[in-house]
Amino acid sequence: MASLRSTALSKIQGIAPRFLPFADVATEAVPLSRLLRLSLFQVTVGMALVLLVGTLNRVMIVELSVPASLVALMIALPLVFAPFRAFIGYKSDIHTSALGWRRVPYIWKGTMLQFGGFAIMPFALLVLSGYREAADAAPWIGQSAAALAFLLVGAGVHTVQTVGLALATDLVEVEDQPKVVGLMYVMLLLGMIASALIFGWLLQDYTPGRLIRVVQGAAVVTVALNLIALWKQEPRDRARANRVETHPEFIDAWRLFVRGRTAVGLLIVIALGTMGFGMADVLLEPYGGQVLDLSVAATTRLTAVLAGGGLVGFAIASKVLLDGHDPLDVAWWGALIGVPAFALIIGSGPMGETSMFVIGTAFAGLGAGLFGHGTLTATMRSAPRAQVGLALGAWGAVQATAAGIAVALGGILRDMILTLPNADTFRPEAAYTPVFTLELALLLAAVVAIFALRRKQARLSQTMSYTCSKDGPDPYAVPSDPTPPDRRPSGGEPHDHRRLTAL
Amino acid sequence: MSDDPDKVWPTGLTLKEAEEVHSYLIDGTRVFGAIALLAHVLVAVSTPWLG
Repeated sequence: MASLRSTALSKIQGIAPRFLPFADVATEAVPLSRLLRLSLFQVTVGMALVLLVGTLNRVMIVELSVPASLVALMIALPLVFAPFRAFIGYKSDIHTSALGWRRVPYIWKGTMLQFGGFAIMPFALLVLSGYREAADAAPWIGQSAAALAFLLVGAGVHTVQTVGLALATDLVEVEDQPKVVGLMYVMLLLGMIASALIFGWLLQDYTPGRLIRVVQGAAVVTVALNLIALWKQEPRDRARANRVETHPEFIDAWRLFVRGRTAVGLLIVIALGTMGFGMADVLLEPYGGQVLDLSVAATTRLTAVLAGGGLVGFAIASKVLLDGHDPLDVAWWGALIGVPAFALIIGSGPMGETSMFVIGTAFAGLGAGLFGHGTLTATMRSAPRAQVGLALGAWGAVQATAAGIAVALGGILRDMILTLPNADTFRPEAAYTPVFTLELALLLAAVVAIFALRRKQARLSQTMSYTCSKDGPDPYAVPSDPTPPDRRPSGGEPHDHRRLTAL
Repeated sequence: MSDDPDKVWPTGLTLKEAEEVHSYLIDGTRVFGAIALLAHVLVAVSTPWLG
């Protein structure tokens, strides 16, 4: 009996590790295939964004005839959670778990929220639109159920993306971070493009049953992809699990994060640039259609031009950053390219030059790609190892909020101009030119802000006695540390650790 | 490793670790149940199947 037991035990021990979701701690460097797998969580994020902002937006207005203002309100709801990203990231930084995991529990919970939101969403939307017997039900049932569904998906997306990016940052060396950032952006973009095409194709012949199947299918795909992405990624850390640490409160961690460093300046730059590039997102297509008389197919190709410019931008940024250039310089070039891009777009309307407009759009995409890549890499680099989640949460909070405000503001400004007295006597571009000009101004402000930030960095590295390497803008970053974070001694990050507990 | 008295046979997890894994399962089931209940209520509002 005893021998049977020991045989069984050794058999199980032999096969078990393959079937357990734990990473092999002894892995030397994280191979690209594993990073590719991890980046699948960005595909689900992209899918959720497309479903909320694109597909369901249209389905609710056209097929379900829900009032447009109610639809806009519902779609804006997930934005409520964006500022909480910093807090979510902070919570994952200090998470104590017997398994020594910090990121996996949060990504899993975020996935569950996203799944739950999508699972009830089609029914909530059908009730909201008064489908069959729901027409007799009290309106608050549909409204609150739809609001809950959108809130769940929003909370899930914010959690998954914040903590997922933190996990990616944990896994790779500082010099490899540009590669990861590029990969994450490309996967987000590919996820959005692919799911837009697939949802569009699936919902061609709309029926309520089909809506239920598509949205719930998205829920299942979300869980499946996130499980695949998460499998064996985060190493278990018994030392961390057993360590008794006193963690700073959120406000203290935040003060530590912004103290004497350029974190706030970087966040301002991100807000300015994201708003500068983001406002045009929903206006380029109607501008092309109304001002330049492009067909629907042509304006759809315009979105492809914008995305293609972004992809080129990510590729160039990855290449340049891996060569050791400063991420802020890349972001600076991105914002700078955006200025002539929007000048071209503004000029193309009155001159009726379609080619000018297309070139301007491509450059706007290129600039946005460079800017996004540069600022996210800068955020990753400037984050102390113990505060990676907080730093990426702050990045996500600012980025998502700025992008949401930009899209809303762009639409509101255009509609306000169109409702002015004698608006029908305006030239067709009159509603768009002020918005594009505002974007141009925001990008100029971002260029100036990055310049000021670089000056401040130079001053800081002079006055403080820290030795700041060429590509490490932050004195606390440890670019020269040859030990991967997973294999540091159990004392763990002695420098940061002391700073955290000193509070 | 194997002579650790805290280990739970046969997974090699300690009791605390096993409890944590279990807590994910329990939480997941609860969330799943609540979502399913809500979905059923919503379906019943639009297409009632009980009378």
